[in-house]
Amino acid sequence: MATAPTTYSPSQGLERRQQQQRRRIFKEEDWVRSDGRGFNQCRPAFLRTGAGNAASGSAYAEFGTTKVIVSVFGPRESKKAMMYSDIGRLNCNVSFTTFSTPTRGQGLDNKEYSSMLHKALEGAIILESFPKTTVDVFALVLESGGSDLPVIITCASLALADAGIMMYDLVSSVSVSCFGKNLVIDPTAEEEAFQDGSFMVTYMPSRKEVTQLTLTGEWSTAKINEAMELCLDACLKLADVLRSCLKEAANAG
Amino acid sequence: MVGLSSGEKHFIRGGIAQDLRSDGRQRLNYRPVSVEVGVIPQANGSARVRLGATDVIASIKAELGRPDPLRPDKGKVSIFVDCSPTAEPKFEGRGGEDLSTELSVALQRCLLGGKSGAGAGIDLSSLMIAEGKICWDLYIDALVVSSDGNLLDALAAAIKVGLSNTGIPKVTVDLGTAPDDQPEVDVSDEEFLQFDTSGVPLIVTVTKVGRHYIVDATSEEESQMSTAVSVSVNKRGHICGMTKRGGAGLDSSVILDMISVAKHVSEHLLSVLDSEIAVAEAAAMS
Repeated sequence: MATAPTTYSPSQGLERRQQQQRRRIFKEEDWVRSDGRGFNQCRPAFLRTGAGNAASGSAYAEFGTTKVIVSVFGPRESKKAMMYSDIGRLNCNVSFTTFSTPTRGQGLDNKEYSSMLHKALEGAIILESFPKTTVDVFALVLESGGSDLPVIITCASLALADAGIMMYDLVSSVSVSCFGKNLVIDPTAEEEAFQDGSFMVTYMPSRKEVTQLTLTGEWSTAKINEAMELCLDACLKLADVLRSCLKEAANAG
Repeated sequence: MVGLSSGEKHFIRGGIAQDLRSDGRQRLNYRPVSVEVGVIPQANGSARVRLGATDVIASIKAELGRPDPLRPDKGKVSIFVDCSPTAEPKFEGRGGEDLSTELSVALQRCLLGGKSGAGAGIDLSSLMIAEGKICWDLYIDALVVSSDGNLLDALAAAIKVGLSNTGIPKVTVDLGTAPDDQPEVDVSDEEFLQFDTSGVPLIVTVTKVGRHYIVDATSEEESQMSTAVSVSVNKRGHICGMTKRGGAGLDSSVILDMISVAKHVSEHLLSVLDSEIAVAEAAAMS
């Protein structure tokens, strides 16, 4: 059996010590987030439509250090091999760049994210409006800085609106991390690595409908209520940001 | 895809509205659960769970491995689900692959807890042998033998039963003198340690058909659903994981309502499963 490590990383010991220190901090009742935000404060969101030229619609989102581009193609003819369908198809794909994470090329769970993105959006799109055709949604994570999936979903709904795909409502998404008794909204990657549990909601604010939700870790019912309230409120505000971004683009064009 | 005539669809929906489903159950009743343990001799533990015509097998295999350098005090658990095309033709190719990933992800979410390991159904530190050097890697593989709806609940039950049937061999470790030495491990093939499975949660999927909720939907009933929320509940009544299926949106109050229904149903299911496990273990012994 090989005992010698195959790669050499000088900073690993230091990194581990720092991590242990962070872990201890997260266990305390009261701590300050690394970017100075309050527990109920989201990162500043920057959103723009029209990130790519070839696509029918596209959007760029930047939440703190999380940076995402989403392009929407179509509606275009479904592949020949597909069966006839009198409602439209939605095809979602999420990929990470190799430099998006601290260790190179670890974007392995994109299949999971793709299916989550699909499930979050399919309830919001009026698929009956484009029968026999497919809409492709391609998301690319340029930098993974935490809460990646909520940012992807929010950005994708903006790109769909930019492409003029008929939707019941915009979809906004926010996640919450749980640390002991504390609930922390819009966690960074570092916070996500040490969280006790997470809760993510995708929401259509005007219709007041949740299209998708996931939960990990152990939660009491009271805490779920609290997290749900926190998320829905944040989703509502995020949708306002999306709307003003779309209005701005419409006025400029 | 289940082919149903509009009459059949109407019958199913009407039955659910009147709290009398096609197979005679009420909305919040499970189909009879049957449990077998030790069905795979090569594995450390295994179980077969049948819920009506849904039939799944879970096998648990423990192998020696190295712990993650970032979590030196914990073992590793991985969960895989295989949907074989022998169960249903639509499981062939991409359809089965997508479903397999969806089920695996949902089970991982429900059983493995948060990133820090809090709330995990399986105590990862109990898989440790020598800190930072050797741990057990637990491979949970589940197979769908036959599918008639409610796969996720059946799979979670099979994993819980399988884990209670699992014996981890006792190991003695000689750490050696130098700190960089590879420790010598002696795996006993006679003495086994039993797993504590009291904390392993069950999954209850609450399916919304029309305005009503049902549990343990058959595939015919699943074809009529608008949404389904799978809630994993442990013995203490805490929620350990949640996933939603189906595209339709739900009001947040409806979701909270569905969670409380799932919690209520899980109490009964847990006690039924516990007694089934005891019966199955007794049958396997004799």
